[in-house]
Amino acid sequence: MTPDALALQTETVAAWTALAPAILLGLTGLALLGVDTLWPDDPSNAVLAGVAAAGSILSFAVTGWFLVAGTGQASTGGAIALYGDALVVDGMSLFFTLIFTVVTAMVVVAAYDYLDDHSHRAEFYSLTLFAATGMAVMATANSLATVFISLELASLPSYALVAFLKTDRGSVEAGLKYFLIGAVSSAVLAFGISLVYAVTGSLVLGDVAAAIGTPEMAGVLGLGVLMILGGFAFKTASVPFHFWAPEAYEGAPAPISAFLSSASKAAGFAVAFRVFVQAFPLEAVPAGVDWVIAFQVLAVVTMTLGNFAAATQENVKRMLAYSSIGHAGYALIGLAALTAGGPNGDVLGASMAHLLVYGFMNTGAFLFIALVEHWGVGRTFEDYNGLASTAPIAAVAMTVFMFSLAGLPPFGGFLSKYVLFYSAIEAGFWWLAAVGAVNSALSLFYYSRVVKAMWIETPVADFEIESRPVGLYTAVLFAGVGTLLLLPGFGPVIETAQTVAATLF
Amino acid sequence: MSEWIAIGALGLVAVGIPLGMMAVSAILRPAVPEQGKGATYESGEIPTGTARVQFNIQYYMVALLFVVFDVETVLIFPWTVIYRSALSQGVALSTVLWPMLAFVGILVVGLVWAWRNGAVEWVKSPLANRQKTERNA
Repeated sequence: MTPDALALQTETVAAWTALAPAILLGLTGLALLGVDTLWPDDPSNAVLAGVAAAGSILSFAVTGWFLVAGTGQASTGGAIALYGDALVVDGMSLFFTLIFTVVTAMVVVAAYDYLDDHSHRAEFYSLTLFAATGMAVMATANSLATVFISLELASLPSYALVAFLKTDRGSVEAGLKYFLIGAVSSAVLAFGISLVYAVTGSLVLGDVAAAIGTPEMAGVLGLGVLMILGGFAFKTASVPFHFWAPEAYEGAPAPISAFLSSASKAAGFAVAFRVFVQAFPLEAVPAGVDWVIAFQVLAVVTMTLGNFAAATQENVKRMLAYSSIGHAGYALIGLAALTAGGPNGDVLGASMAHLLVYGFMNTGAFLFIALVEHWGVGRTFEDYNGLASTAPIAAVAMTVFMFSLAGLPPFGGFLSKYVLFYSAIEAGFWWLAAVGAVNSALSLFYYSRVVKAMWIETPVADFEIESRPVGLYTAVLFAGVGTLLLLPGFGPVIETAQTVAATLF
Repeated sequence: MSEWIAIGALGLVAVGIPLGMMAVSAILRPAVPEQGKGATYESGEIPTGTARVQFNIQYYMVALLFVVFDVETVLIFPWTVIYRSALSQGVALSTVLWPMLAFVGILVVGLVWAWRNGAVEWVKSPLANRQKTERNA
């Protein structure tokens, strides 16, 4: 046993504390199981939701503090590599952890009301927190092995959460579909990783990049890269592994739809950004393995398919599911507009900032659906007719989300989309920006249908809204205020995102 | 390509030997059909009942909990192998011991939770019991 082999165990105490956000999320999940262990018959919903929210907000605060204090960034000596380079804490991982934790906090607060008359609440909260832990680890994964493990840690609780409404056929069917497609894409990802390992002889991203220049077995490498891309396409709900998304988002409990379409998608992008930029750098990959072209095709197809399919939906939740696929297409520009020596940090940073804004506006929109489901109003556009007269505050928030998702000026979504498309033009891909802009214009059509139904149409049937659930309202309004505040506050966000993204290249 | 030829030859031999043995014994042996030869081999015991036994679905939970210990073993084994040599080479006890304690601790939390929530409680169904006695009678 050489001392080198034991290097893994001689980390200083200070270094592992950089993982505090992920550790806090995991401990909160365990604490929720502890609460359920102490009172197995009737754990109080308020206690469970309180513990879950406190844990995720604490983790959010720690992440924000790290980001401001410069942990893992250039100002304090660069990225912190842990456990033999298996994990790395840097600005990008903290930025993404910020998205995961704030979405988790909103989701668990909203779930307090949503789960009012359900059993197995402790399982719901703890699975959510464990999935969030997996996402936080995904953002820090620096080796293909940890990439796979953390992706599974985020996915497995998600499968169970989608099928949480055990007696609802839609939920169970959605869970099964999500699980089957997830299993196939995990297999594809693992196979891709094995091929890359066969060519480069390493799983650590940096070592893969160092060994990638040898032209020997470029075909096998290309196949491996393509398969890894497929695995990430599943997690981000991009073409060609997107078709689980409409079913899963529609069938799942609405807070879980919010969680999956915002946090889980962002986690997929976090890991895709790091793997492709760090392990397969454009300067080093052999000519046959030009993955940027693959991402360009995927970005265009994903955003077009998502938006066109969304325009034809009658069900609001399903429309949001397809719009979420469309937004995955926008975020893919972050990888599709990369060039050797181009303004790569700006492009990637713009995509990260868009995912942060998207985390607020999309979570808010799905939580509004949760609110409507809680009231027992139907699911189609017609059922939303006249909602503004009975629930004006929530309708205002929903209007903000819809216009922000469409990218209209006075909201956060406008600036993030503008910067994203602008950075694509800056990098020389004006046609990517053009396709994105055309799709955004189309998306205004179906987003405004919701607004029109709520404010202009008269209700087809009388319905009574007998409750104003505190948790759901808090979460929806928080998301709405966040979406609004991200307009004046977008400057520091995009600055941070582009600075931390630039250090990856 | 020569090493691939060797592998192909190995494959041919690997398939050929058992096939050859079966062919030779089929030619040489006398045919004496007998009822006992068709019976299921039960280590010399006389087989009783059918092989199509239904297991209780509740074994499923036991099997799931077994996986917890199974995975635990997989990590504890390599850890025990390096434990002593790591200590003798001057690695602090806490750096060697704590990760494993944390790992086992996480599993214990899960196990205790499952236990408290009735995962190992054997639910007796009166209907199933009745059917069982009827089938056996």
